[in-house]
Amino acid sequence: MKRDEIRDVILEIIQDIDEDAEVEAMKADQPLRDQFDLDSMDFLDIVMELRKRYKLQIPEADYPELATLDSCVNYLEPRLQLTA
Amino acid sequence: MSDYRLVIIGGGLSGLAAGIRYARFGRKVLILESHVIPGGLNSYYRRQGILFETGLHAMTNYAQPDDRRAPLNRLFRQLKLSRKRFLTHEQIVSEILFPNGVNLLFSNDFNLLKDEISAKFPRIIDRFLRLVQAVRDYDPFIPCEWISARERIKDILGPPPAGGDPAEDEFFVNMLLWPLMMYGNSQEHDMDFSQFVIMFRSIFLEGFFRPEGTIKDFLDMLMEHYLSLGGEIRFKSEVESIYSRGDSVHGVRLRSGEEITCDDIISTIGYPGTLRLLGPAVVEDGPRYEGRISFMELICLVSMEARAHLKKSDRTIIFYNLDDQFKFCRPDDPINIHSGVICFPDNFQGLQGTARFQGKDVFQVRFTHPANYDHWRNVSPDEYKEMKIVWGEKSGQETAKIIGNYLENVVYQDSFTPITIEKFTAKSKGAVYGSPVKIKDGRTSFKNLFIAGTDQGFLGIVGSMLSGISMVNQHVLEKI
Repeated sequence: MKRDEIRDVILEIIQDIDEDAEVEAMKADQPLRDQFDLDSMDFLDIVMELRKRYKLQIPEADYPELATLDSCVNYLEPRLQLTA
Repeated sequence: MSDYRLVIIGGGLSGLAAGIRYARFGRKVLILESHVIPGGLNSYYRRQGILFETGLHAMTNYAQPDDRRAPLNRLFRQLKLSRKRFLTHEQIVSEILFPNGVNLLFSNDFNLLKDEISAKFPRIIDRFLRLVQAVRDYDPFIPCEWISARERIKDILGPPPAGGDPAEDEFFVNMLLWPLMMYGNSQEHDMDFSQFVIMFRSIFLEGFFRPEGTIKDFLDMLMEHYLSLGGEIRFKSEVESIYSRGDSVHGVRLRSGEEITCDDIISTIGYPGTLRLLGPAVVEDGPRYEGRISFMELICLVSMEARAHLKKSDRTIIFYNLDDQFKFCRPDDPINIHSGVICFPDNFQGLQGTARFQGKDVFQVRFTHPANYDHWRNVSPDEYKEMKIVWGEKSGQETAKIIGNYLENVVYQDSFTPITIEKFTAKSKGAVYGSPVKIKDGRTSFKNLFIAGTDQGFLGIVGSMLSGISMVNQHVLEKI
């Protein structure tokens, strides 16, 4: 997957969690948590959604890598290479 | 290969929520319910064409849809249900009523309770605000040892100022505790401070509401969602035993003899009930977990004429305690008529407040009293029927003193007892709020058997559903 595709997937998942999330105005280098007021339960949804869609297991120790949109893309890019 | 990845025992609200949460991620899950309909404690039945709700007087934890962090909205997000399409009616006003007519009114506007305390307990209001702050700051979800709510509240309030009376403080604390205890405390006399914080927030800071429609509509919505996600449920399927080997469980056997294998089990039927399914070797530990708090409830349909001469008939719920000595415990008598809850389930904002019954306009009133399970258990069927009548009448005489005489206008009455509760909800000894000892992390001595619902420590409809969700999140999702 390309970087901008991964980006869209993440934003789509967030939009799915919160229909009011204003993803257009978001800043890619700022914590997702603060911008969308995500709690730990919402965060788990992002992880589970990625697992469901791409069979991708993200260990709990790696959760900090998902803090911002940029860091999500950096983290996921090598791991989603084989997915079309 | 097991038949199912996850089996959930009990199709009440915690079981349904756990099922939905798990089914969302596409794995095989089965809910086993012994009754013919879902809901457990919060269900319904029909008599003479009218649908009566069990358990539900009001839901707690009211929050506006845009308050993302509120438990109610978090619950909807986790289950992928639309909070905006979930229509609600907030309470009108509720009341705590104590001896000598001392009362406190409260609503979903917290200022009302503050004003009431300022007016009636001027020596306590400033210290009460300190308690409110402590409740807001405390994290009740971190597992920790039991802390006496009474002691902790006393510490936070501190001594009364000059001219104040410690007895007044105690009276006030009892008033605060009373609705919280009646609405979800599984132990006698005192409560766990974490539980106090959860209940204080859900009742005083968030508040009462009810969903549009009946509990049946709410359950139908959950069922439809669960099934659409591929979840399976079976009714009239009572689990007779859980198979275990070493420190793990691997399936259940139904009363019909059928065997079902699975990788994980979440049990929502209470801790003592779950131990019983594991066989005699485990059950010794049971009695410590048996709750003693149960209730009798009378449901009355009253003709509309009575409304004009009733007192307090705009209240949503009245929590009264007219015993000289405050008690929250299993009573010596079959029920304690001097304390209880009076609920007008039609008194929510925007509800019409009437129903038709046999050609008449009627409204509903429900009376709930602490009850003693043993008294109701150890009698013949005839004596049991007689007791229901006798204690129903006693309740009527006592409650008429509070709301005025409605007895001549009752057109239909039904009642349930600790025995009814035990039969339909599988709560051991009719202990609606479950075990006095909570299993906060949901773990058992079997590594893939978990407890959710009342005995995990979350109460009320919103609480039990969050319990189902968080047990799935913490214990079984990672295995998907």
